[in-house]
Amino acid sequence: MGRKLYYVLATLQLVAVFLFCGGFFPQKVVLKNDSKFIVNPEVQLASKPVFKKLVLVVIDALRSDFLFQKDSSDFEFLHGLLNSGEAWGYTAYSNPPTVTLPRLKGITTGSAPNFLDAILNVAEDDTSSNLKEQDSLLKQFHTHHYKMNFFGDDTWLKLFPLEFFSEYDGTNSFFVSDFEEVDFNVTRHVPYQMEHQKNWDVLILHYLGLDHIGHKGGSKSHFMPSKHREMDSVIKQIYEKIDGDTLMVVLGDHGMNDLGNHGGSSSGETSAALAFLSKRLKKYQSSDIQQSSNVPVEDAHPDYKYLKEVEQIDIVPTLSMLFNLPIPKNSMGVIIDELLQLLPSKLAAIKVQDNYLQLTKLKPGYEAQLEKKSAGTLLEEMREIQSSLAMAATNYNYTFLTYGTTLMIIGTLIVTVWNFQLSQEYIEHVGTSVLLGISMFASSFIEEEHQIWWWITISVLLLMQISNGKKLVVLSGLRLIRGWNNSGQKYIYDNVLHTLLKSHTSVLWWLNVVTFLSVGFPFLRNKDESEKMVSLLSVSFLALSSITYKICFAIVNGDKVPSGLYTFALRSCAMYLANENATESDISQCLVPIARIFFQICGVSIIILLFMKYALNKSTNMLNKLLSVIKFVLLLQTSSANIPLFLIFEILTSVTPDITPIFSLCLQNLTFFQFGGTNSIATVNLTNAYNGVSSNYNIYVVGVLMFLSNYAPSIYWALSLIPQSYKQKTLRLQHYYITGTCLMIACIALRYHLFIWSVFSPKLCYYAAWSLYNVVMDFAITLLGVL
Amino acid sequence: MHNRKRKTVKKTVSFSDDQNLTNANLNNHRKGHIDDDTPPVYVRKSWTLIPFHLLALLYWFLKYTDFNLLALLYIMIPTQVIYLIFRFNKNTIYGKKRLRLNWLLVFITLGACLLLSIPCLAIIVLFGAPFVELLKESWLLALHCCFLTYPAVYDVFNCNFKVGYFKKYFISVVIGCWISCFVIPLDWDRDWQAWPVPLIVGAYLGSFIGFSIGGYI
Repeated sequence: MGRKLYYVLATLQLVAVFLFCGGFFPQKVVLKNDSKFIVNPEVQLASKPVFKKLVLVVIDALRSDFLFQKDSSDFEFLHGLLNSGEAWGYTAYSNPPTVTLPRLKGITTGSAPNFLDAILNVAEDDTSSNLKEQDSLLKQFHTHHYKMNFFGDDTWLKLFPLEFFSEYDGTNSFFVSDFEEVDFNVTRHVPYQMEHQKNWDVLILHYLGLDHIGHKGGSKSHFMPSKHREMDSVIKQIYEKIDGDTLMVVLGDHGMNDLGNHGGSSSGETSAALAFLSKRLKKYQSSDIQQSSNVPVEDAHPDYKYLKEVEQIDIVPTLSMLFNLPIPKNSMGVIIDELLQLLPSKLAAIKVQDNYLQLTKLKPGYEAQLEKKSAGTLLEEMREIQSSLAMAATNYNYTFLTYGTTLMIIGTLIVTVWNFQLSQEYIEHVGTSVLLGISMFASSFIEEEHQIWWWITISVLLLMQISNGKKLVVLSGLRLIRGWNNSGQKYIYDNVLHTLLKSHTSVLWWLNVVTFLSVGFPFLRNKDESEKMVSLLSVSFLALSSITYKICFAIVNGDKVPSGLYTFALRSCAMYLANENATESDISQCLVPIARIFFQICGVSIIILLFMKYALNKSTNMLNKLLSVIKFVLLLQTSSANIPLFLIFEILTSVTPDITPIFSLCLQNLTFFQFGGTNSIATVNLTNAYNGVSSNYNIYVVGVLMFLSNYAPSIYWALSLIPQSYKQKTLRLQHYYITGTCLMIACIALRYHLFIWSVFSPKLCYYAAWSLYNVVMDFAITLLGVL
Repeated sequence: MHNRKRKTVKKTVSFSDDQNLTNANLNNHRKGHIDDDTPPVYVRKSWTLIPFHLLALLYWFLKYTDFNLLALLYIMIPTQVIYLIFRFNKNTIYGKKRLRLNWLLVFITLGACLLLSIPCLAIIVLFGAPFVELLKESWLLALHCCFLTYPAVYDVFNCNFKVGYFKKYFISVVIGCWISCFVIPLDWDRDWQAWPVPLIVGAYLGSFIGFSIGGYI
């Protein structure tokens, strides 16, 4: 009975969550067809564009201070142009989610992004994010017979139909650890394109290296200055070849935070740089702020607001105006004032009116009033409309939302009634769930969820029935875990163990080696000699291959490793390549094969273990050995500076062998955050998602690896509870029912909240991913019949 | 009259040391004032024990001092000494007697509280306070916590450490701190959210409640 009801309830939860998500993340409704000139079309059609050619240089994650601030910018050539007036600089606000795909949509269509785009940015194969049908700047260029060439991030090629481009070469953005080649593959086209300017009217370049450096080493990485100079030289190379009829635009699609991540809505992530470059601009007045300041700006601005602030989507109507194209239909942009000077005043007035009418169409029920308004008042009014449009939510599918929430509420009621008992354990469970549930209604509690989990974990620990000595050991272990990484948005400490260990690499790597060995302990308990042989053989292969991979990975990414381990890795690679004189550069070739060897060894070990159990009936410590194999996979998927945390985990499990379900639940969640995770999209870690995956990758494999690398600690603690009764499992299910119900109600109630896309929606995604894992794991364990 | 009521108290709260001390005293050095039914030391139920000065200090701290922890500490210590002399000591019953104030011990306890703040700081850090950054602030919090329990520390010393009866005063401060943590993550960006101001408020309120109802539990 209990078993069946459990599976019914677990499935019901999954269905409810996915129904809700289906209703909460709908496709956005967009206006169809391409736009035409609205005001005085005959005058507009007859007039000539201001510029004949456009060079658009997108530098991924180019934050405003990278172009304009003295200490963080090395764009010397561009600084010269900005000071002479040949370039006009802006800080462009890029709407969250600040990841590449939604931002490219914003830059080309001028529309506000859809949260789903942020998810699809990862699941790149999806075609629903295509802009083939939607009106965009590129589509307008195409219909007006501009010849476009494109080189750079292949996201563009997935967004737009290939017939838009007469020449193109895409680079893949997914090997985050490479930041040389990915840019060289773009730059190598530049000289040819500059020599043959007749072949194109619009040249688009998208550089990824800077973003990769950010992901790797943060915004102050020591690779940054040289990358800035490289980009600056590309700008110089192009600028010196183009004439006065060509406009060059340099911009970042989004910014980054100090850790180099992006996706959220902090000021660092939303402040992208933007610069218009042309020899002709010198004749006109740049923005007042730029005229009165000297670039690079000396003082660092905490909110990254340098020079004049504009919306990033403003470049859509601005470029449309400069190239005499109709403004794309869904654009929410407003023409940037200063660039109106470039047009004859009569035409400029028409363009502003055109922008006004196009924008007001997006706001149903808004009464457009053109009469007797000067361009200035129109622009002002447009900016108000723009900000109100940005706030407006997408259309939710209320039927799905209602069904999902109702199912969750029903499930919650059944599960709480079913579990009800007056014991300390039950009260602790319900208390935790209710506390978490309440916190779902406050955006700051969602952002700082690790604090809540810390609070609950300590309370639960103090109430636990173990000796005070053990409590002290566990408490110290937990405090180390808490001090390992920063989590949340509010408090970022410089002195966390993670950064400390990164600068003391020898300590880190010896700790890592010990961790790898300690995870293999269960293999040491065997009954007879033959079993001992097999066990020792498989555990040494597992440990060796995984350590070798982690060391090689660190070397390839430019991290320091102790010289002993360095030689060890080099020898192993030399052995693999059968090349005595292998050097550091050869190691990168070995990465994918070593990871694959590791995964094969894992598979073989599991098969051997099962074979021993069922065919030979030798199964000492069988379950722990299986778990140990899985733990090796988790270690492989963890970044090297977090690996010693698993050593603490091993100590904690040996101190409290019979861990209670509530404590396990606390640790599953606490450790997720203390590994550096948050409830924001920005901290989704991709570095370990490509272990053993070659360039023609399978998106599902990458998805699974990504999940493993982000949830490794949670999975560890979930595994520690595997021999558990259904009663205990239902307690866990009850927790996710209660918090899930609260989260759904919060999402519905706060759907017009400012933070719905940056805080509540990501939380919903994390929640859905983890509940999917829980249900899938339960079914998998039952099917395997391991227990 | 106290006799009976004390009995019930002993049944509801079990501080193991009470019984030990009683037995020890009975067996070894009988001092004549101890009766098996009475706890060796207890605090009377009296409204005069309510430490209003803590509330007043807290109000002054939040309203007028710009959250100056040191100033608060300097004023709190003398008021705590006065509270001990005129209130707490007068309501503490050893056996069946009220003891005269031991002036030497009053000063020794002040020093002891100062020293106790170091293990207290260790506990605060272990419970999750930032370690390297803000260590001075955490230490100030520890000092406040120690001096908030100053009257109880005095009594613990006065009965040779052997009575667990005073645990509750320490626990009330800890619970006050622990509960007050919840305002820290809120993104209101107020001055009073800065570390460790919310915990100071929690500690004061916890100790206010603890000392007010200490006699009843």
